Amino acid sequence: MPKLTADNVEDILRKGDSARLPDKVSAKFEPGQQVVVRNLNPLGHTRAPRYIRGKTGIIDRDHGVMIFPDTHAAGTGKSPQHVYSVRFEAAEVWGPDSMFPGRRGAIYIDLWDDYLDRA
Amino acid sequence: MPSEHSHDHDHSEVPSDLALRVKALESLLVEKGLVDPAALEILIDTYETKVGPRNGAKVVAHAWSDPDYKARLLADGSKAIAEFGFDGRQGKDIVVVENTEQVHNMVVCTLCSCYPWPVLGLPPVWYKASPYRARAVRDPVGVLKDFGVTLPEDVEIRVWDSTAELRYLVLPQRPAGTEGLSEADLAELVTRDSMIGTGLAKQPGAGGTP
Amino acid sequence: MNGAHDMGGMDGFGPINPEPDEPVFHGEWEKRVFAMTVATGFLGHWNIDMGRQAREQVDPAEYLRSSYYEKWLQGLETLLVEKGLITAEELAARKAEMAGGAP
Repeated sequence: MPKLTADNVEDILRKGDSARLPDKVSAKFEPGQQVVVRNLNPLGHTRAPRYIRGKTGIIDRDHGVMIFPDTHAAGTGKSPQHVYSVRFEAAEVWGPDSMFPGRRGAIYIDLWDDYLDRA
Repeated sequence: MPSEHSHDHDHSEVPSDLALRVKALESLLVEKGLVDPAALEILIDTYETKVGPRNGAKVVAHAWSDPDYKARLLADGSKAIAEFGFDGRQGKDIVVVENTEQVHNMVVCTLCSCYPWPVLGLPPVWYKASPYRARAVRDPVGVLKDFGVTLPEDVEIRVWDSTAELRYLVLPQRPAGTEGLSEADLAELVTRDSMIGTGLAKQPGAGGTP
Repeated sequence: MNGAHDMGGMDGFGPINPEPDEPVFHGEWEKRVFAMTVATGFLGHWNIDMGRQAREQVDPAEYLRSSYYEKWLQGLETLLVEKGLITAEELAARKAEMAGGAP
C-alpha cells in the first residue's frame, strides 16, 4: 500500500477499498432459508452483535464473498466467505411485547457464514 | 466544569488538553514521515466541503424522476451511484433500500459508525453516539419520535444494522404534489435524515431540516 | 469481544438530540484525528478490522464517556504504539515539550 501523499490521496479515496474477494467459495445458505446465529463469545473482534446471538432469522439476500472480520482483525487471514442480510422479526429479538408495539417490524443484519447454522 | 452533561457531546478531557495531545501526535507522525501534512489537508477538505449528502440527494432525485435508473439503483446501488461519479472509500458496496407506503427503512451501525461516505459524507455526531446506536434496533418508533416522525401503524419498520462492509442508503418516498418539479428542485427536498431513514423528504415549500 | 461498543438494545442513554445545522467537524482537533486515522491506515501496518478492534479495546467506562473522535484518537495511539511506529514515551515527551513551549 502506498503512503498517502498530496499527489495520490484523491485517487486513493476515489478508488476506495472493497471487502469483496474474488475467491470462489460456495454459499452455505440461500435466500429464504432459516438460520440461527451461533452463540459465539470470542475474546477477539467479531461483528455478530450480542443482541442477535442465538436468534433465528431468514436469509434475505446473499451479498457474495467478503473478508471475514474475526480472522482479519486477528491477523490470521481473510477467510473468504459469503455475507448475507438476515431478517429477524422484531418479536424474535426482543420478545412479543417489547418492541414495535402494534406493528410489523424486523431487523436486518449482515452476517457471515461462520456466524450461522441451519435452523 | 458543571456536573451536567450530554452523552453525545461529552469529552473525557478538557478540549485544550485534547488539542495538545492531537498536535503532539501529529508533529511526531510528520517528523517520522508517517503522514504527509498536505495529504491531511486534502483529506479534511474532501469530506468538509466536497463529499456530503448533496451527492445522495442527486441520486435520489434522479431515481424519483427516472424509473429505469431507480430499477438499476435498487438492483446494484454502488454501480448506479457510480454513474454520478460518486464512488470510493466506505462506499464500494452500497445497497439501496426503498421506502414505500407499506415499508419504512432505517439504517444504523450498532457496533461503530458505518455510513455510506460517497453519498452522505461523514456521519453526524448523533449517528455515532450511544443513544441512537443503542435504541435504533430496539425502539425505532421512539427514535423516529425524537426526530419528529410518526408513521401510520400499518407501516412495517425495517432497521438495517450495518455490521459488514455493505453500506445502506434509504431511498425515501417522493412527496406528493411534486409531479412538475425538476430534478434539481426535487433534490432540494431530499434531506440527509431521509436517506438514513430517521426523516422523511420535505414537502415542497417546507423549511430546512437536515 | 463483549465490549461497550456492542450497544444495540441497551437502555438508558436518553434522547437522541440531533444538532441543528451540525458542522462536519467540531473543532480543529477532530479534523486532525480524522485525517491522521485515515492516512495512517494506508501505511499497511493494520487493516480496517484491526482498527475497529483497537477502538473497541478502549476501557468500557472511557468508551461510553468519550466522543467519537476521542475513541478514534485513543485507538490510533494504541495501534501506533502496538506496531512500534511510535513509543508512548516519545508521545508523552512531545506533549510535555509542546505544553512548555506554548504557555
